[in-house]
Amino acid sequence: MLEVNGVTVRYDTATVLDDASLRVEKGELVGLVGPNGAGKSTLLRAIVGLIRWEREVLRGTRQADITFEGDVIFEGERIDELSASDIARRGLVLCPERGRPFVEMTVRDNLLAGAYLCKDRKEVEKNLDRVHELFPRLKEREKQISGTLSGGERQMLCIGRALMRQPKMLLVDEPSSGLAPRLKEDLFKRVEEIYHELGVTILLAEQDVSFAFDLSVRNYVMSRGHIIAHGTAQELLGDETIRKTYLGL
Amino acid sequence: MVEGIIIQGLIKGGTYALLAVGFSLIFGVARMINLSHTCFYMLAAYGIYAFAKMLGMPLIAAAVLSLLATTIIGILTYRLFIDRVREHHVTVMLITLALAMVFQEWMIISFTSEPLGAPSFISGYWEIIGVKVSYQHLLTFGVALAVLICVWALLSKTRLGVAIRATAQDSEIANLMGINVRRILLVTMGMAAVLAAVAGIVVAPTLTLEPRMWTSPLVMIMAIVVLGGLGSVKGSFIGAFIIGFVEVLVVFLMPGGAFLKGAFALLVMVIILLVRPEGLFGIAFEEERL
Repeated sequence: MLEVNGVTVRYDTATVLDDASLRVEKGELVGLVGPNGAGKSTLLRAIVGLIRWEREVLRGTRQADITFEGDVIFEGERIDELSASDIARRGLVLCPERGRPFVEMTVRDNLLAGAYLCKDRKEVEKNLDRVHELFPRLKEREKQISGTLSGGERQMLCIGRALMRQPKMLLVDEPSSGLAPRLKEDLFKRVEEIYHELGVTILLAEQDVSFAFDLSVRNYVMSRGHIIAHGTAQELLGDETIRKTYLGL
Repeated sequence: MVEGIIIQGLIKGGTYALLAVGFSLIFGVARMINLSHTCFYMLAAYGIYAFAKMLGMPLIAAAVLSLLATTIIGILTYRLFIDRVREHHVTVMLITLALAMVFQEWMIISFTSEPLGAPSFISGYWEIIGVKVSYQHLLTFGVALAVLICVWALLSKTRLGVAIRATAQDSEIANLMGINVRRILLVTMGMAAVLAAVAGIVVAPTLTLEPRMWTSPLVMIMAIVVLGGLGSVKGSFIGAFIIGFVEVLVVFLMPGGAFLKGAFALLVMVIILLVRPEGLFGIAFEEERL
């Protein structure tokens, strides 16, 4: 379903992603693990077209010296030349790190923004009900300004907003970032539900290896911009070098 | 006198609100300070004069044509001169200032520097609680209010409104929702031009038209937008009425010092900002904006 081939991203002379390649098949939940600064977020941003967007926004400044190489194929179509909004229109949706809700909008309006491409009001309401079922807290906080939500609620909102788009594939970036253990557990249960019950293909970037390994079918391990290994949780944990050096287990 | 202040304040505030809300929308969505914004107000006012008085067209047709022409000029201005530099805020300010000067000179060449008067849409007056208010002024207030209600409904009740607000808050994330940010910026620019044009059209008959008529409202709406909180449409709306009322109060209370109305309005803005630097409805979650 998703194929990333030799993607390299350079900011000026700093290579933050080096020849990264991965594949995600339809119906899989694939983990992308690695420590802070490994390049997980950059890889997800590159897949959904945000590196191109960043380059366009920074055009004419010194920070615009961003190089993108390699190709990204989604459902048989090359998407690395498309704009971020066109990629989202194809059903490939990113839940960014820290949720990044539209902080001055209510929870409901955030969810409606997620459903921007759906013109059928009934369909939107149906999706809204589904998201509320999955995250009842969002229903309770429907009229609350999302900037006042807690970290966990923001993550729920972000995932709910992405689901409003009815994605074919979801890229989830560090959903557990900054959350208390109980909240983390709860959030991962929801991710599991989305995967099993809604049948959405997921690429989950996560620092917390144990959670990622619990959920995923296969995993890619990243370090310093490189994908250094991939395999099932068992295979990766069986490799002592990877387990000690890269996973810190 | 109180009745007079209330009625005139509402009329003045309504006109400023039309201009300030458009300016605020552009700033909110694109982070651009468009110094040529009030030129669209001037162009629409001259448009009414040209179509109705010079070409002898019926007023309504002249108003519609003027509105259309100004909106098209506004959109073209954005596409040709602003879009490609929109992330360079100082460049945008310089280019829009240059464009404003071009529009001003264009009006001087076309209509000379002589003060001109546009025909009224409606003559006569109505006495409200002892105050004589011309129908034209009432029309100005009514149209301003109706247009602002439409803008509010569009922003809060429609898909387009959600997309505009989402883009204003985080354009990068708006992309991820499938929102075409460039198109939203263009639509916003068009909306702002429409608002300025409506203000120009309804106010034209109550003003003297001259090629520098864009400067004074520009200063006032910048003050309003800062006072209301940068990028806050609600703040701009309320700020417009505060500044409008202050101006009218000065005129009523110090008839000999009416020329000081702008200075007093700006002083009120300074005082409010000293107490609340982020403006009345400034961003509460500034650290979240990217």
